[in-house]
Amino acid sequence: MKARPMPNMPIQRTNLTRRRWLQASGLAGTALGAGALGNLMLAPRFAHAADYKALVCVFLYGGNDGLNTIVPTDSARYTQYRNVRQALAIPQASLLPLAGIDYGLHPALAALAPAWRDGRLAPVFNVGPLAAPLTKAAYRAASASSPLIPDNLFSHSDQQTLWETGSADALTRTGWGGRAADTLATVNPVISVGGNGRFGLSALNAPLVLPESGATFGAYELSKDPDYRLTYPPLVARSAALRALYNQAQDNDLADVYARMQRDAFGMSERLGGIVKTQPGDASAVAGIDAAFASLTTDKVVAPGLARQLYQAAKLIAANATVQGNRQLFFAQQGGFDTHGNQVATSATDGEHARLLKSAGDALGAFYAAMQNIGLGSAVTTFTQSDFGRTFRPNSSSGTDHAWGNQHLVLGGAVKGGASYGAYPELVLGGKDDVGVDDWELQGRWIPTTAVDQYAATLLGWFGASESQLDTILPNLGNFGANRKLGFL
Amino acid sequence: MPPAVPWNSMQRLRALSVAAAALLAACGGGSGSGGSEPPAESPPPPVSPTPPPPASAGTSTRDAFRLADQASFGATEALTAQIKSQGAAPWVAAQMALSNSRYTLGKDGRVHQSTDPRDFCDLPAYTGANCWRDWFSTQPLVWDFYRNATQQPDQLRQRVALALQQIVVVNNFEVNGTYGFRNYYNNLLDNAFGNYRQVLKKVALSPVMGDFLNNANNDKAAPNENFARELLQLFSIGTCTLTADGRPQGGTCSPTYNNETVRAYAYALTGWTYPKGGATSYGCYPEGANCRYYGGDMVAAANYHDTAERQLLSGVKVSAGSSAEQALEKVLDSLMQHPNMAPFIGRQLIQHLVSANPSSAYVGRVAAAFTSGSYSAANVNFGSGQRGDLAATVAAVLLDTEARTETPARTAGKLREPVLLFTGVLRALNGRSDGDALAWWWGETLRQHLFRPPSVFNFYPPDYPVAGTALVGPGFGIHNANSALERLNYLTYLLSWGGSPVTAADQVPGAFGTLIDTQPFEADAADAGKLVDRLSVLATGAPLPSAARNEVILATQSFTQQNNGDTWKSERVKQAALLVFATPAYQVQR
Repeated sequence: MKARPMPNMPIQRTNLTRRRWLQASGLAGTALGAGALGNLMLAPRFAHAADYKALVCVFLYGGNDGLNTIVPTDSARYTQYRNVRQALAIPQASLLPLAGIDYGLHPALAALAPAWRDGRLAPVFNVGPLAAPLTKAAYRAASASSPLIPDNLFSHSDQQTLWETGSADALTRTGWGGRAADTLATVNPVISVGGNGRFGLSALNAPLVLPESGATFGAYELSKDPDYRLTYPPLVARSAALRALYNQAQDNDLADVYARMQRDAFGMSERLGGIVKTQPGDASAVAGIDAAFASLTTDKVVAPGLARQLYQAAKLIAANATVQGNRQLFFAQQGGFDTHGNQVATSATDGEHARLLKSAGDALGAFYAAMQNIGLGSAVTTFTQSDFGRTFRPNSSSGTDHAWGNQHLVLGGAVKGGASYGAYPELVLGGKDDVGVDDWELQGRWIPTTAVDQYAATLLGWFGASESQLDTILPNLGNFGANRKLGFL
Repeated sequence: MPPAVPWNSMQRLRALSVAAAALLAACGGGSGSGGSEPPAESPPPPVSPTPPPPASAGTSTRDAFRLADQASFGATEALTAQIKSQGAAPWVAAQMALSNSRYTLGKDGRVHQSTDPRDFCDLPAYTGANCWRDWFSTQPLVWDFYRNATQQPDQLRQRVALALQQIVVVNNFEVNGTYGFRNYYNNLLDNAFGNYRQVLKKVALSPVMGDFLNNANNDKAAPNENFARELLQLFSIGTCTLTADGRPQGGTCSPTYNNETVRAYAYALTGWTYPKGGATSYGCYPEGANCRYYGGDMVAAANYHDTAERQLLSGVKVSAGSSAEQALEKVLDSLMQHPNMAPFIGRQLIQHLVSANPSSAYVGRVAAAFTSGSYSAANVNFGSGQRGDLAATVAAVLLDTEARTETPARTAGKLREPVLLFTGVLRALNGRSDGDALAWWWGETLRQHLFRPPSVFNFYPPDYPVAGTALVGPGFGIHNANSALERLNYLTYLLSWGGSPVTAADQVPGAFGTLIDTQPFEADAADAGKLVDRLSVLATGAPLPSAARNEVILATQSFTQQNNGDTWKSERVKQAALLVFATPAYQVQR
């Protein structure tokens, strides 16, 4: 491992100062340290462990159209694609060629070209929820309630749940990220910079959900923020009373959870508020991160959405001395991919999907560059998830409907890029990968040839999970025999 | 006079406001983490199938408070006293007779009638900083919503409409046109105690929904499945087969329908276009369809309607050659007759009004009222006897023993969702809001900016798991470490910073700000114990448990005549109120 810079000393100092002040003020013991997320309140350590690793899940909510994200460029398959996609087909000349393989990226993903050139980007084809390997014949023969068929195919909420939980059962409560954090005993729970998604939930812990970069993560007049010296006695009394109230046992289960979350929030905001608030160019900002996000930054504010979330994740990775832990899972997301209508505008390279991919690609590209810049490129792997792929055949509204298997992207310095993984779906309506046989159902909804479980196992194996830990985190992995991992890491 | 706030809180306020505005674009569309069916309930407690009727007149303070909390936008001293003397069932019946609230603010349908090729907001007649807000956005609906919620007497009608609008969801991300949203949400107010069939029919015919889920101008040649799928999954029966009391059949998710069913519904629902009245500079597309217009229900467009025979659920069939209108009635028949609908909708109404984790017996009783269309309690009869009657269903939700018990189970209750936190504190403290501060500022901050849920999956899923428990908590789907602190910030905003002053009337029509009045409580401020108890009864229906009570009293007593001169009483009220409303006992209603 390369020696790494020591990022964010200013934050560390600020934090120490605050903690000393807190102890001096006599409030430190009131409610800190208790609770499921109390680990975040441990004393700061020094920089990254030599084997530091982070996994960053980027969920594309709504169901990204993977068939227009990465398109085969050989003439036989491109013709199949164009003949069915028609007005939605990306013109062959517009595709960004991926040297070495017969595929091109949607032109809106130009920001990912450097990662491909570096050999650090890998597409993974036709991935989706599966209980076990599934052929078309077995799919057709199975009853609707067969355990071979994942629950509630083609439904947004259920397929999000299956992707986030690594399961074929829509009633699963916990996410595979949350279970990985528990099984590997990471210092922190999953840190989400993109809301409460189920990926980071475990049986005992909710993900730590942080607000956007630049936001105040704290309680005005009640937190011990350096800007807010809490000295006015009635406010000191108010703050002390609140912390005491949230330490008391409640007569109701949900109220107990509420109290626990409140007291954890005080502790975490005091610890992480400075990092959360840091904006590009601030004294506590990291130059290498700011440089990577510069083209997405206007007046010291990173563009909203995924870029701002990944800027936040980058800062939290850099500030490991404060955040702590040699293994950290992150969750980020972008919404709006449910392109039932107006997926493309007058030209197939403009429109809603192009706009969505541009913001996703720009953010992923900047994040990749940021990790390289701070010397953590090979310690951080980013991967996409999404509800499902979309129908190969467009509908009458210039859009596509809900499908199943989908194309995904993995990038980072440890990724064996420059190659593709898994099998691209056969682009034939009613063909071997299409769930349909009869006329009415020939929409091109692909039966996945790679399972979410295998995709997750590849990522978690790199992250440090042993084979037996993988079986704990991903209970259906054993159904895939020897094909547990895909080899992209 | 010593300042209550020893630094410049207005500066803070502005900073926060700017931060809130900067968040706008970050909450784009697409679905959030979604929900499926409720998990298997623990075995139902031994409760008799027919609940014993509550006392015919009058009830306890605690019960009156709880009903006010479940059925209104926040208990007030007057409302709790009224229910206490009137009794639960008569009060519910009286509420159902009221209809005061309407959506009226914002501009009209001219946004969809301009034949000028310029953008509407570039036209000299309409241009200005507020054009988008007043003509296209849902901001005027937020104004109406919070004005009505904090002031109008038809509280239960508004609460039920809020529950319905979180089941049959549209949003202002993909659809624009203030007048269309007014129509949509006025329909929900109108039908809050009507029949769920009528709710669904108006939803299916709504051009706003038609635009949102791509069913306007849906063409039989390649039907768009979006509306058909969500009609089945979210608006009517759900994806897993349920028992009559709402548990997944057999403890697993046994599918209610398959993709062939979805396509059959998509075909049956083709052939609807916008009502007449719209116009554009470039004509109307596709040929034979009307231009986008939201003034009324969608109308049939026969050339786009599929006329093949289609097999629907519940053994209902659309026969070959049916018109779009006939096919829609068959669609509604098939859903209303489906055994999932009563527990699926009934359980969600319980979750919105009373408790996130109702026992299956409670769900079963509410589902029975939905199915029979009638319910009786304390010699008061509710409902028309028609399947799907919402008056009967809502009465069953509110008057059930599990809602009215004086000793709720440890698993009872629900996290007070942000909208109900906003209104609850305002109403309790003699306040009101013109709504302007509760949209882009507090609504965004706490992830419940009304009329702008991120997708058709609402702000939160009905089955979001609560970590550390075996329970679900819909409101926990948007609750986290950040919102935990922002809830306190909202209280600080109202109590320490004085809320929002009146905005100039040319900026917000009829503005009166977001303000409370704590002066009436100052009479009890000299006795901190008395003050804290009064506020606790107001907020939770009972004095706080003694350990919590002691903490609040101690902090309240930190303001004295010596250290605060003339303002010590008002400061005490604010201190006590902030702490009482911050307690888990208030934030989780039970």
